Amino acid sequence: MLALRLARGTHPLVLTRRLLVAAAAAGVGFLLLCTLGYAVGHPAQSSASVLRLLWCVLPLAATVQFAVAVARTDPSTRPRPGLSAIGLGPVRLTAVAAASTAVACTLGSMVALLFYLHLRGDITGLPFDGAAAELLAADQPMPLAAALTLLAILPVVAATAAGLALRPRSAPAEPEGVEKPVPSGLPWGVALVAVGLAIETYAGRGGSGDGLPLPGSFDGNPAGVLAGWVLTAFGLALAGPGLTYGCGRLLQSVRPGATRLLAGRVLMDESRRIGRPLGVVSAVLSGTLAAAALYASGTGPAAFGPLTGLGAALVMACTTATLLTAALESKQCREHTTEALLRLGAPPTVLRTAALMRTGALVAVFLPLTWIVAELAALPLTG
Amino acid sequence: MAPPDNDVLWARSLHCALGGSDALSGVSLGVREGEILALVGPRGSGKTTLMRCLSGQLVAQQGEVWFNSSPVHTLGQAQRERLRRDRFGWIAPEPGLVPELTGWENVALPLLLRGASHRAAKTVAVEWLERLDIGVCARKRPHALTHSQRQRIAIARALVTTPSVLFADEPTATLHRADGAQVLRTLTAAARSHGITVLLATHDSEVAALADRTVALLDGRRVGTVPPASGAEGVAACSLSV
Repeated sequence: MLALRLARGTHPLVLTRRLLVAAAAAGVGFLLLCTLGYAVGHPAQSSASVLRLLWCVLPLAATVQFAVAVARTDPSTRPRPGLSAIGLGPVRLTAVAAASTAVACTLGSMVALLFYLHLRGDITGLPFDGAAAELLAADQPMPLAAALTLLAILPVVAATAAGLALRPRSAPAEPEGVEKPVPSGLPWGVALVAVGLAIETYAGRGGSGDGLPLPGSFDGNPAGVLAGWVLTAFGLALAGPGLTYGCGRLLQSVRPGATRLLAGRVLMDESRRIGRPLGVVSAVLSGTLAAAALYASGTGPAAFGPLTGLGAALVMACTTATLLTAALESKQCREHTTEALLRLGAPPTVLRTAALMRTGALVAVFLPLTWIVAELAALPLTG
Repeated sequence: MAPPDNDVLWARSLHCALGGSDALSGVSLGVREGEILALVGPRGSGKTTLMRCLSGQLVAQQGEVWFNSSPVHTLGQAQRERLRRDRFGWIAPEPGLVPELTGWENVALPLLLRGASHRAAKTVAVEWLERLDIGVCARKRPHALTHSQRQRIAIARALVTTPSVLFADEPTATLHRADGAQVLRTLTAAARSHGITVLLATHDSEVAALADRTVALLDGRRVGTVPPASGAEGVAACSLSV
């Protein structure tokens, strides 16, 4: 109840973030229910159904990441003097954060269920009644327990993840501005990207397994290609913080003025917070670019359907939103710095220019990288 | 009405309401060039608000503020920021350093913001750190320093531009007595040797004794003297149960 009361009084922007989580949850729930519909309609093709269910893991993971990022930026989940005066400490606030995440995700899941029933034709009175009745196996009764289990996955996973991410630490909080260690993931990330591309090239050349249907017209080993893609994406996410740190280091080197000094140092300190979601976005983008190249060149049987589109859009939207939320979180954490600078009489343009400089440096590094990885990933499959 | 010529900073009947209550009601004040003026008064008497009005961080609803015979209250936000950057220094009870920068970079920041070259800013900043006896802190970040070292870095940051007026808002409130006395000594010595006008807000009469002149505030008004604070309020009336 406290979570709801706190949510009722919050700023509209915070509520919008929560609503975005609910929308993402609705998308994931709908995808899961469609998988269920396929399984009910095609009882003979159980392996294909399992495969579809496994593909749903990607949007699910992206949504959980987004939900956790939103929970971290929510002002009602951080210790506040007003709440701590009545004895609501970090432990109870973690519970509040988990509960409000669960509420948002459950709301989305309920919307997904209603929409699904509506498209099946079970709920009437609106346009598009039963528009997809055939696709969703409306002639079969829907297994209610299965549907509810599928819909419960996201709220449970997201609430657990939010609780774990915000759990009170036993160690005392480190003071503001502690010099953070240099992110060490860069060599590992580069190695993983290289290994992933190598595996993919090797698997794309020969062999003939058809366990996983992949887009495009190639007759290689799809499982190997997919493993290569996953390794590449993982490597990019791992290399993100290191690359961000390098950007910051470069920005503040060689006799910096105030703007370059501030931009570079902040980027170096925030490399972990910003770099990881940035690496994930870069991985998703390169995967999408490679897949788009494959679809453009291929004439395979696996056509680009609306559900694939929904899944891809969900993953892209959620990872981008996570990146933006992380940027917001880092801005919230640097409120003291901003205040100190403004009190010195620093013009707001200096702060804005520093922020633009950071964004520009990151774009200049990550955009070409994403493009190169996408080209390399698509090369052995289309060539 | 033009201000007297020998006042570097001059305010006339400032009225300022903050958060629904009157923080200042009709305060007038003249600050002479090169003097150290103590503003004394208990918490909530309007010291900080008066200093923020005088330094152009806040514009009073009524009243005038003049700096060097030119009006401050009619300036726009950007011009007031520029004035603050170029002519004023500010020391808060908390050091308010930028945590990502090292000691000398924090001190050099006002110079860098004015467009000074990296090398020149560094030379001046390190000189000031040596002068305030914290040369060892130049390469450390604020979190690795003690509180009094941080506060002295904040003082160096305020002095590095040799401002016309230095506003020190309870600069020793969060320090232990020994540290606080040392910080105050360095502050007043540096101000006197460079001819910097200092406005020192404090609730401590010992601190105010260092000043040339004292102005007392109470409930947002100028008063002759501040009544001494009684130790335990309501002890005499404790038979009355509330």
